Amino acid sequence: MRPLGWAASTAVLAVLASVPWIASPTLIQFGITTLLLATVAQAWNIVGGYAGYASFGNSVFYGLGSYGTAIAMVQLNLPFGVGLALGAALAMLFALLLGLPVLRLRGHYFAIATLALALAMTGIVSNLEIAGRNTGLVLPLLKGDALFYELALGLLALVTLTVIWISRSRFGFGLIAIREDEDAAAVMGVNTTLFKAAAFTLAGFFTALAGGIHAYWITFIDPVSAFDITLNVKMIIMAIFGGAGSVLGPLVGALLLASISEVLTTEVSTAASLFYGLVIVVAVVFMPRGLVNVVRHFKRLGWRYFSENLRSHRL
Amino acid sequence: MALLLQVLANGILLGGLYALMALGLALVWGVLNIVNLAHGAFIMLGAYASYYLFTLLHLDPFAALPLCMLALFLFGYLLQRHVLNLIVRAPMFNTLLVTFGLDVVLTYLAQIVFSADFRVVNPGYAGANFALAGVTLPLVRALAFAVALVLTFALWLLLAHTRLGRAVRACAHNLVAARLYGVEPRTVYALTFGLGAALAGAAGDLYGVVSQFNPYIGDALTAKSFAISIIGGLENPLGVVVGGLFLGILESLTSLYVGPTYTDVASFGVLVLVLIVRPKGLLGRAT
Repeated sequence: MRPLGWAASTAVLAVLASVPWIASPTLIQFGITTLLLATVAQAWNIVGGYAGYASFGNSVFYGLGSYGTAIAMVQLNLPFGVGLALGAALAMLFALLLGLPVLRLRGHYFAIATLALALAMTGIVSNLEIAGRNTGLVLPLLKGDALFYELALGLLALVTLTVIWISRSRFGFGLIAIREDEDAAAVMGVNTTLFKAAAFTLAGFFTALAGGIHAYWITFIDPVSAFDITLNVKMIIMAIFGGAGSVLGPLVGALLLASISEVLTTEVSTAASLFYGLVIVVAVVFMPRGLVNVVRHFKRLGWRYFSENLRSHRL
Repeated sequence: MALLLQVLANGILLGGLYALMALGLALVWGVLNIVNLAHGAFIMLGAYASYYLFTLLHLDPFAALPLCMLALFLFGYLLQRHVLNLIVRAPMFNTLLVTFGLDVVLTYLAQIVFSADFRVVNPGYAGANFALAGVTLPLVRALAFAVALVLTFALWLLLAHTRLGRAVRACAHNLVAARLYGVEPRTVYALTFGLGAALAGAAGDLYGVVSQFNPYIGDALTAKSFAISIIGGLENPLGVVVGGLFLGILESLTSLYVGPTYTDVASFGVLVLVLIVRPKGLLGRAT
């Protein structure tokens, strides 16, 4: 980013940070949800967008973050910060231990193995005494949406800075090389196992923090909501809709899709989900590289951009 | 011992239905390289088709089976022909996303049209049992098991011994070569996807008889179909049967010896293990 870019980003961040002082409570709540979704989408971007590994199991990190925080606060009476750290540590441990074998799989097989991990974890947690089994845990109540908003914003800024660093570092180029051709990357001297595990662990770290913040904000978690499988889908769609493998894509995707869904939910809740599904189909058919890519190329190609996308992927 | 036999019998009957559920997913995945995340939603549509044929026209669910299959075949054919053929050459992400979008659309359309209430197809003989070699078998489950086996065998015959089957396998093997030999992939892909949807329709029809359902059953069924396809491998319909039986028995045994809340842990844990040890499936060819 050039100096102008940094200045503009700082200005946007300042405006976003001032939201709790000027906006209505509903808008602040919408803000917290959207910031957390953008965080998990951006975290997915590291492993899905840059390394090209379509993880359908990042919800496990979110769930571990939620439960780590909740168990620390409810069962062990530890402060929130320690809980967050515990949740993040759990998620990173999980990413390392299960990431090493699972990251050897490619394509569909990796996607499905991560999905199966997510489904199995829901089952395991709903049988654990310390996690409150099926009924879940109730966290201490803390009234302060402004605090949660700023926490979520700070986390989003942190993960985005990390992705900016990735997009211009040796580490990031290694991940992109893995995405484009893993065997060639290995031949060129990229330690693919280490790079993939690092990307997975980083994604786990940020996703778990988002889960921990969400758990304390919502004050109630149970296995089905904490390990919600549809969260995976949301983060992936937001990243891809905006443009996976770019810094801005997941942010734009999260903001746009969360807003549309919010507006529609206030009208009819079913219609919102229906529309969501249609948007995904149409977006993937006509702009498979995401919105950021459309903006970049539309000026030069015009409407041909869409027809060329269509031509290159149809049978 | 008697209890174990009974549990094994239940597992085998469940496994037959599981195999039929997974068959369409495995077929489409193997030939088109599309993992159809809307597969479970197709099964759900099949169950509703059977439900309305039964309640409105008083058609027996086993007699309605061909109609359910036909309806889903047409739906699947048109979907592939006019939507999915547009993205079939796109990266894997994109096909996953599009079928996920379809899954969402179908699920919520079903909720609007059919309501979220639980339904069950309940013919007069639904509660009937019969005894065989000391174990009690529910009649409808046994019938569903038999139908599932017949359909699997029919699919195997179709793939192995007909012109269409050869064209389908040719497309799975090498699309360019298949084209050179005069196969029109657009039609073959649409037919294959239609066939996969028809199998889902049949599975849905049987599912509606043995279990209650609502618009949201799809996702869990898709996940189980995945697990079975992986365990059985994608090359052969008979592998899917083994995968289905394996999962059915595993779930029944887990439910008896560990506890009913652990069945999902067992089935998805085994899936992860199989993937790690043998990524092409237990019965698939090693690469």
